[in-house]
Amino acid sequence: MPSSFLVRRSIRLIITFFIIVILDFLLPRLMPGNPVAILVKQSGLPDSAIQQLTKQFELDKPLYDQFIAYIVNLFKGNWGYSYRYYPTPVKDLIFQRLPWTLLLLGTSSITVFLFGVFQGFLAGWRHGTKTDSTITLVAVLVYAIPYYWLALVLQYFFGYKLKWLPTSQALTFGAVYHNFLDYALDVARHLVLPVTAITLTAYAAYTLVTRNTMIDVLGEDFIVTAKAKGLPERKVMWHAARNAMLPPVTMLAIRLGHMVGGAVFTETVFSYPGVGLLIYESIIYKDYPVLNAAFFILAITVIIANFIADLLYAWLDPRVRYR
Amino acid sequence: MTRITLSEERKESITKLLHGLYYIFIKDKKGLLGFTIIMGFAIIAIFAPQLAPYNPRAMIGRPFEPPSHKHLLGTNDVGQDILSEVIYGTRVSFYVGLTAPTISTIIGLLLGLAAGYMGGKIDELISGSIDVMLAIPGLPLIIILAAYLGQSLNNIILVLAITGWVGVARVVRSQVLSIKERLYVEAARAVGASDSRIMLNHILPNVMPLMAAYVILGATSAILTEAGLSFLGLGDPTAISWGQILHHAQVKHALQLGLWLWAIVPGLMIALMGMGFTLLGMSMEEYLNPRLRSYQAA
Repeated sequence: MPSSFLVRRSIRLIITFFIIVILDFLLPRLMPGNPVAILVKQSGLPDSAIQQLTKQFELDKPLYDQFIAYIVNLFKGNWGYSYRYYPTPVKDLIFQRLPWTLLLLGTSSITVFLFGVFQGFLAGWRHGTKTDSTITLVAVLVYAIPYYWLALVLQYFFGYKLKWLPTSQALTFGAVYHNFLDYALDVARHLVLPVTAITLTAYAAYTLVTRNTMIDVLGEDFIVTAKAKGLPERKVMWHAARNAMLPPVTMLAIRLGHMVGGAVFTETVFSYPGVGLLIYESIIYKDYPVLNAAFFILAITVIIANFIADLLYAWLDPRVRYR
Repeated sequence: MTRITLSEERKESITKLLHGLYYIFIKDKKGLLGFTIIMGFAIIAIFAPQLAPYNPRAMIGRPFEPPSHKHLLGTNDVGQDILSEVIYGTRVSFYVGLTAPTISTIIGLLLGLAAGYMGGKIDELISGSIDVMLAIPGLPLIIILAAYLGQSLNNIILVLAITGWVGVARVVRSQVLSIKERLYVEAARAVGASDSRIMLNHILPNVMPLMAAYVILGATSAILTEAGLSFLGLGDPTAISWGQILHHAQVKHALQLGLWLWAIVPGLMIALMGMGFTLLGMSMEEYLNPRLRSYQAA
């Protein structure tokens, strides 16, 4: 991997990081009205607190001083206070919720990958047949289904109608766990519907990409040779599949941004206590510091994942040449 | 070397257009299906006042009424007829679905043209912005912009325009780079045509058809995003949109109350209209970009 490529990608990562930080810094300050005034109004503190808090948050200083203080605080983990739960620090709220979102995103990344890639292999292998056209058409149509709608449908049928699975939260309320297995089972039961909702609405991209790669690979010389040698079909398929793996693997990171979007909606529908639900709550309660921090943490996670994927891709595939 | 006069170029483009229409509507069933779905919704949107049984804003029944002959989808939490709301919601989806991608496509077109044609520092700046925009996850960015701008339909359109131009700019830039090298553009430059003339007369007509496909494809994501923002409570509270109906169904626990049609029908409408635009847009894109075609048109 050429080092100039690493340098270019690192510069882009840093620029993107700063644009996110600047957005996060400027948006609240461009709003009409003082954020402290909103805080005081929302948390029911006396009016006299406005001046004191303005000083405490250094909002009376010039913008560039504020910006430097903002950056320093950002790295120190001092992300301000929630309007809704004042004086709970925003950081505490975020880190309480983040593990659940990571669990949801991690699990659905695996299921989306398996479900999407398997169908892509099948469609590519049976290129030009009815199987292929059916899989492709369904994948295209699924593109247009809103995440939250599918989540609502699943919640209604499997939760309220059939009562097979819990409809909300990540744990059963008031449950007592005798051992870890008990706990893990409860967590898993609450994960099934949200993960299914994300999987069904996000797999299509993997299917389409895998299918196209598979068709390309099947046309290559080594597959023709393998077939000519009289290798059993299953072995040829395995040959092809292994070589068509790279694009879908790197897509995992690229599609993470979309998955995050899916998590926001899915968590909202299932009241799943992750960062997505926190975003929804902070919209409803106009809790802007929390909204900012949630945006920050999600955006940073996604750009770092993409950065790692870029490097991995360049490292894995010798054919990839970057400027 | 063949000589191409302007009139021949025009004639060629008319034949191309006819061939395109033939491909999209007759040869490729996806295009026709998508077009039919969109036309169906267009009729509902235009004749909403005639089709809707009630005024969607009037409180004509008791709150939370289950579906009945009087109210086919029941009533909402303030006693408005849900079917009438769904019918009127078609108008909002069309409004957002057509204006937002039109604006973002125009922005993308201008920036793509500038980057591709002028090159140099301008290209670097625009291409850099494209890279950065692609790196920031879309939905969180849209959410935070919409939250600070305030709840109105036009603000949502503004946010969609700010975030939607990226893909178009990238494609236009690469198109311009390839068209720039073609013979007739070189010929035009040789006889002393100005930059703006070359852009207007030779480059623009070549990228325009693709722009139409992008407006149609962009409609799907605009409709989905508007509905999504409304669902999260960031929509225009004064507009009757499908996302807004879903938001109220979610907040008022429609599913727990067994009033599932309240949530399922508006979601189905969003998905159907999205599919209509996707199918038509894909068909157009496939025709314009033969590499995507599953079979070669004769």
